[in-house]
Amino acid sequence: MSKKHEMARRIPIIVCFVFGLFMLVQFFVPHRLSGAAYETVLDWMQIVFVFTLLVGAISYAKLNVKKVSRTESGWGYNAIGLVGLAVMVILGLWKGTGEETPFLWMFNNVQAPMQSTMFALLAFFVASAAYRGFRARSWEAGLLLVVAIVVMLGRVPLGSFISHWIPDAANWILRTPSMAAKRGIYIGIGLGTISTSLRIILGIERTYLGGK
Amino acid sequence: MPRQLIFVLIALSVAVPLVIKIGLPNEVTSEVMRVYEEIDRLDSGSVVLVSFDHEASSLPEVKPMALAILRHCFSKDLKVIGLALLAEGTSIGDQVLRETADEYERLYGKDYVFLGFRPQYQAAMLGMGEDIRRVFPEDYSGTPLIRLPMMRKVENYEDVALIVSVADGDMPVWWVDYAVSRYHKRLAVAATAVMATSFYPFLSSGQMIGLLGGLKGAAEYEILIDKPGMGQRGMDAQSVCHLVIVLLVIAGNVGYFMRK
Repeated sequence: MSKKHEMARRIPIIVCFVFGLFMLVQFFVPHRLSGAAYETVLDWMQIVFVFTLLVGAISYAKLNVKKVSRTESGWGYNAIGLVGLAVMVILGLWKGTGEETPFLWMFNNVQAPMQSTMFALLAFFVASAAYRGFRARSWEAGLLLVVAIVVMLGRVPLGSFISHWIPDAANWILRTPSMAAKRGIYIGIGLGTISTSLRIILGIERTYLGGK
Repeated sequence: MPRQLIFVLIALSVAVPLVIKIGLPNEVTSEVMRVYEEIDRLDSGSVVLVSFDHEASSLPEVKPMALAILRHCFSKDLKVIGLALLAEGTSIGDQVLRETADEYERLYGKDYVFLGFRPQYQAAMLGMGEDIRRVFPEDYSGTPLIRLPMMRKVENYEDVALIVSVADGDMPVWWVDYAVSRYHKRLAVAATAVMATSFYPFLSSGQMIGLLGGLKGAAEYEILIDKPGMGQRGMDAQSVCHLVIVLLVIAGNVGYFMRK
């Protein structure tokens, strides 16, 4: 490996180690200097993140321009995406994003209804999938089915209208077995986060640099 | 059963109850009651930070919750700081805040402010614990915070009585990690129903003081503040829709066992 490539790999690892260790140590150091350095790091985190947003937007534009220029299958959708991106950027830069601006009008009357519509379509697909796929093929699947029905009815007024046992049972399911499972998952995530963070800080885990 | 028929049934089960009111009674759960009681016991002039941590897609579900909580805050003469940690929550938060503030004739800068959006939510949450003005030097319209009378008395989380996260994802968990654990703030959550179940461990541990779960949470809160709105209206539709799905599942299983 050339010296240039070697440095390109080492510098991110050193930066990661220094800042990772700093953020870990400063938590336990209540000194004013530590606090000031900590606030500066937080400022930098936001600045770096803004650049990643820019990278995302450029990457989105490049990918879509490529598809439109090659008239690949579905290129019309890519063109609409590009036009949408350009229109919102132009409107935002032209008259701002505040009250009674064209940007806000577009957001309220085009973007928000379209996104809500996409989200609402889930109800149709969930109903169709539930009818076709939700079968009591085993006793475990049967149990899941009963629990799903109880929670679905228990989380709407209709449940208590039928019997107060339904919302009581739904609440018990959510507050006891479901919560126990979630808690186990969260503990697992916590332990996994700690071990992965340590591996990254110590330079053992390097996949974020690309390659193997 | 053909898919098209299922789609028609679902469309009707949502649309008809929105037009013809059924008026099924809704009961208030303890999670929602705890949010109400927390806000209700705050002294007049206390500061509540409301974070609009959601996207436009979940607007029909999160807006009724946000409206109900803000109405309660303004009726109690609490000061509200609004902000967004997801870009799409910015315009929505600004509008919802202005809409409710106008209802109660609250003044911008004196009774409420809207800070706008900051990227990198972890850094923004941690930064506000040290100095809100450092993270948001200006409000959404570009006015320096120092010029807003309400913000002169607010430096960081120390001056905030309660944080409310109106969310459609796992942002409340980050609030727990950074504002609750590190700065010992009290956190109430208004989340979409699909996310609400994820937060029960935090309710049980006391890291979240209460939870509004989706449209049902909004409907319950509307009962508590005695201001009927979209939450209560939507619950009839949701009830019938759930019933239709349950009946479809039962019908699907009856067919399955008959064929077997």
